[in-house]
Amino acid sequence: MSRTQAVRIGGLAAALLAWEGVSRLGWISPIILASPSAVLAAIRADGGVFLQAFEVTLAEIAIAIALAWSLGIGVGVAAGSLPRLGATAGPLLSSLFAIPLIILYPLFVAWVGMGPASKILFGAASGFFPIALNALSGVRCLDPRFALVARGMGATTGQIFFKVLLPLALPAIISGLRVGTSLIIIGVVVTEMLASVGGVGFLISYHRTMFNTGHVYLGIFLALLAALLVNRGLSHLEERFGRWRILEQTRA
Amino acid sequence: MARHVIEVRGLTKTYSPHRAPVRALDRVSFTVDEGQFVTLVGPSGGGKSTLLLILAGLVESTTGEVWVDGEQVRGPVPEKIGIVFQDATLLPWKTALANVEFPLDLRHVPRGVRRERALALLEMVGLQDFADRYPHELSGGMRQRVAIARGLVQDPRIVLMDEPFGALDEQTRTKMGQELLRIWEKTRKTIFFITHSLTEAIYLSDVVLVMSPRPGRILDVMPVDLPRPRRFEMMGSEAFGQARNRIWKLITEGEG
Repeated sequence: MSRTQAVRIGGLAAALLAWEGVSRLGWISPIILASPSAVLAAIRADGGVFLQAFEVTLAEIAIAIALAWSLGIGVGVAAGSLPRLGATAGPLLSSLFAIPLIILYPLFVAWVGMGPASKILFGAASGFFPIALNALSGVRCLDPRFALVARGMGATTGQIFFKVLLPLALPAIISGLRVGTSLIIIGVVVTEMLASVGGVGFLISYHRTMFNTGHVYLGIFLALLAALLVNRGLSHLEERFGRWRILEQTRA
Repeated sequence: MARHVIEVRGLTKTYSPHRAPVRALDRVSFTVDEGQFVTLVGPSGGGKSTLLLILAGLVESTTGEVWVDGEQVRGPVPEKIGIVFQDATLLPWKTALANVEFPLDLRHVPRGVRRERALALLEMVGLQDFADRYPHELSGGMRQRVAIARGLVQDPRIVLMDEPFGALDEQTRTKMGQELLRIWEKTRKTIFFITHSLTEAIYLSDVVLVMSPRPGRILDVMPVDLPRPRRFEMMGSEAFGQARNRIWKLITEGEG
C-alpha cells in the first residue's frame, strides 16, 4: 500500500468515525443526519430490495443512454453535415433544449405508464438535446476542406461521413456525451422519485416520507455509485477516442 | 509540341448566395502542358482557390469547361488529379504513414500494396523515419511534406496545390520550394500551384499565370526564362527582378 493510499483510507476512516460520533452524541436529529450504523442497519434490513432497485435503475440508465447516444449523434451529425437540415433543425433543437423537460413528464407517464418506460423516455429525452447540439456544432465547425480533400481523393459520401467527419467531430461529440449522460442519470433518478413504482429514486422518496433516513442515505449512495460507474465508462471512452485532440492542444 | 494536359475554356463562376451575386471568375482560359510547373499568382481573396476547386471537379463552374487529359471534368478524378491544401488537412488521429495510405484505403487497395507505396513516397519526401508519428508530432514543413506524399500516392498525372506553403515561415517555405522542385523533377508530374507570393511563383515555375483581383481574370501568361535546376541565388538576378516587376505592375494596374 502506498503512502497516499494509506492517507486516503485513514482520512476516510477518521471521517466515518467522526460522523458516527457526532450522530451518537445526539447533537443533530437522526432524521436529518443518519449515522453510518443506521445505513448499515438499512443494508441488513433491506439490502436485497435496494440491490434489486439498483439493477432496475442501472438498466433504465443503460437503455436511455443507448437511445439518447444513437439518436443524438445521428441527428446531430446529419444536421451538421447537411446545411439545409441544420438550418432548420439547429434552432429547433436549441429552443427545445431550453424547455425544462420535466413539465412533459406527466405526459410520458400517461403515454407509457408509471413503470421503467417513462423513466427511460424522460432520461433519453433529457440526454438527447445536448448530445445532438454538440454533435451538430462539432461537425459544423470542421474545416470544409477536410470533406473537399476526401472527395477529391475519391471518397464516397458514406466514407466522408464515417472516415473523416465523424472521427474529426468525435472530441466535440464526446463532450456532448458528458453533459448529456449526466442529464440522463439525473433524469432517470428524479423521475423515479416523482411518480414511480421502482428504482433507487423510488426507494429514496419512499423512505424519506417514512423518516427512514438511513435508508435514504443508502439510496443516495447507490445513485452516486451509478453516476460514478457511468462516469468511469465515459472517461475510458474519452481516453480512447479523444486523445489526439488533447495531444494536439498541448502542442499549440 | 507537348500536349495540353489541362485545358480550361471560358470559365466563369458566379456565386449567388442570397441577394447580390458575386462573380469569382471571369472568362478564364488557359492550357497547361504535360510535365509543366505552372503557378497561378494573384491577390488573396481572388478566385484562385475557386479555380483550383473547379479544376479538381469539386465545384461546378457557371459557364465554361475544363478538360483534363482529353476528358471533360464533371466530378472528382482522383486517379488523374492529386490535391494538396495549405495547412495540410491531415487526419490528426492517423500516423504519417496512415495518412499517406488513406486515399488508397478509400479505394480498397490491399494493405500490403498501399503500405509499400506509402512508404516509398514518405521516403521520397524524406520522412521515412517519421512514418509512425502523428501530425501533431511533426513540424509544419514535415506535415506539408506528408500532404504532398498523400497527393502523389494515387500516382496522378496532375497535382493541384493551393498555397501549400502559405502557413510556413519564410526559411522553411524556401526550403520546401526547393524540395518540391526536386520531387517534381523526379516524378515529372504536371503541377498547378497557387500562391500569392511573386517570388515563390517565379522561382518554381515554367509559366506564371497572373490573375486579377475579383472577379478573377487571367491578365497574363508569362513564361519564366530561368535555367533549371533553379538555385537560391537566381532570386537576385536581373531576369528574376524583371519578372517580378512585370507581375507586380499587372496586379496593381488590375486594381485600377
